[in-house]
Amino acid sequence: MSDHPGPTRDRWGREVDAPTPAFFAALVDRWFRVEWEGLEHVPRQGGALLVSNHAGMLPVDAGIIHHGIREHTGRPVFPLAHHGFFRYPFVGRMISRMGGVVAHPDNAQRLLAEEKSLALVLPEGAKGPLKPPSERYRLQRFGRAGFVETAMRAGVPIVPIALMGIEDSTPALATFRVAGQDVPLTVNMLLFGPLLGWVAHFPAKIRARVLPPVHFDEPAGEEHYPRSVVMDHGEVIRGRLQEAISRMLRERKSVWSG
Amino acid sequence: MKNVLVTGASTTLGRRLVEHLLDHTDVDRVLGVEPPPASGWVNGAEMLSLGGDHGEWVETLCDDAIDTVIHCALAPDRDGSHDTPAEARVVETMRLGAAVGHESVPVRSWVIVSSSAVYPVTSHMPLLQPEDAEVGVEAAAEAESLLEAEAYARDVAERTPHLNVAILRLQQLCGPGVRGPLSALLSEPALPVVIGFDPALQLLAIEDAVRALSFAAQLELAGHYNVASSGVVRLSEAARLRARRTWPVLPFEAGPLAPLASRLGLPHVPTGMLDVLRFGHAVDTAKLAAAGFHPERDQRDCLAELAS
Repeated sequence: MSDHPGPTRDRWGREVDAPTPAFFAALVDRWFRVEWEGLEHVPRQGGALLVSNHAGMLPVDAGIIHHGIREHTGRPVFPLAHHGFFRYPFVGRMISRMGGVVAHPDNAQRLLAEEKSLALVLPEGAKGPLKPPSERYRLQRFGRAGFVETAMRAGVPIVPIALMGIEDSTPALATFRVAGQDVPLTVNMLLFGPLLGWVAHFPAKIRARVLPPVHFDEPAGEEHYPRSVVMDHGEVIRGRLQEAISRMLRERKSVWSG
Repeated sequence: MKNVLVTGASTTLGRRLVEHLLDHTDVDRVLGVEPPPASGWVNGAEMLSLGGDHGEWVETLCDDAIDTVIHCALAPDRDGSHDTPAEARVVETMRLGAAVGHESVPVRSWVIVSSSAVYPVTSHMPLLQPEDAEVGVEAAAEAESLLEAEAYARDVAERTPHLNVAILRLQQLCGPGVRGPLSALLSEPALPVVIGFDPALQLLAIEDAVRALSFAAQLELAGHYNVASSGVVRLSEAARLRARRTWPVLPFEAGPLAPLASRLGLPHVPTGMLDVLRFGHAVDTAKLAAAGFHPERDQRDCLAELAS
């Protein structure tokens, strides 16, 4: 094999250590003024599955966590994204540049068990951004809690991250059903119109709190784990995230300055 | 591995395999099978044609004490030099399977060239498809006939305990004399890039393909194995490495307009390549690596080898 110049690439042919685009770094640092707590809970080595709450019209939260963890711990975070995103031009490429891969069990095992990396999931999925206004900062169901099984199989801990503020950057007024799809109406859309309203976010102060890791006693590498065990762990993690978010909301003095 | 029979010996892959077996392994004899008329002796290998009767195959296998059969005639699509219809190739595989599974023949190892075309290319596949990934027929008729042949070969393996059947799914081939869909596309003066996508691509240098087939036959492997040269390459990087212009295309240019664009000499997405150019296509070769095979080429070598 010959010696080739060029940037370092991972096994999926992507540039590793590509810096966060300047505009996004500015968005995180200047616009949302993201502040981190509990970073000591992020493992400095070995695989771990990061789990966070999800809101907002675009997966800004994934970007914030990706940028923040790398800035503060030097470890790259690989988001596991729903395959639907990869069908759209530019969106898939953007996620891929951020290190994101399709949330397929094979990809997750490769990242966590083989490469011992940090992966990120937002288990609320599409339900997160579509919460009605009455459900603000209430965590939605975690589905089948498949992420718990993923972490167990890879033998890695789950690190919950509570994120506060995104919901105020795109406050939803109502959710409508249009052509069989749930479409939210946000204040941003009323102010800036339907297109720009998707992209424009208010400068709400964002706080991120990393919670202590959850370790599992179950042996790694099993094909299946008991449904009840998986669901129980999922509920516990959801409970901890909800508790942390509620506490952060109580401690908050202002939406804009935190 | 003493006496080897290679089908599809007149294809680029078959020819290279016969050369490799004679030059780099300690085989006693290589018999090549090609469509009639057989051309006699080619580079130290005897070439013959076998008719439609499976008894004729059994006779040849017995008379020449063939212990290894490498079947290159099933999946020549990645090579482009073959024009036998897919259905006929499946039937030929079945005939060959019936012969190697016959109780009186001395064959111990049957290696079948299949292709990575059996994996569906979608947005929800894993980035590297493992052998046990879901295979699909919705993508192409090609995949359907390959899977039919694979299933038949598995059946032969089950019924014949003394026979090891290895099914090697080759990634898109590249190298001298090869014009597969992907290598043809990457050889265009301007690369069509579907706007907003940067797929992960993977090629297989013909040298690596030939080495893998010979390796599988020597070790008498059994089961499915993916074969590709090391690594993957993004289309954007491939364009940079090959110093090609890129030509942005809209997804619909792959549809009804493609033949027109082709006639006008405009860059376009060839039929069947649209999903590859959006979602990419790469296979996981860990299983063959665990068996002890390591490709000598990587993706950059493959790209460098394409005609410029």
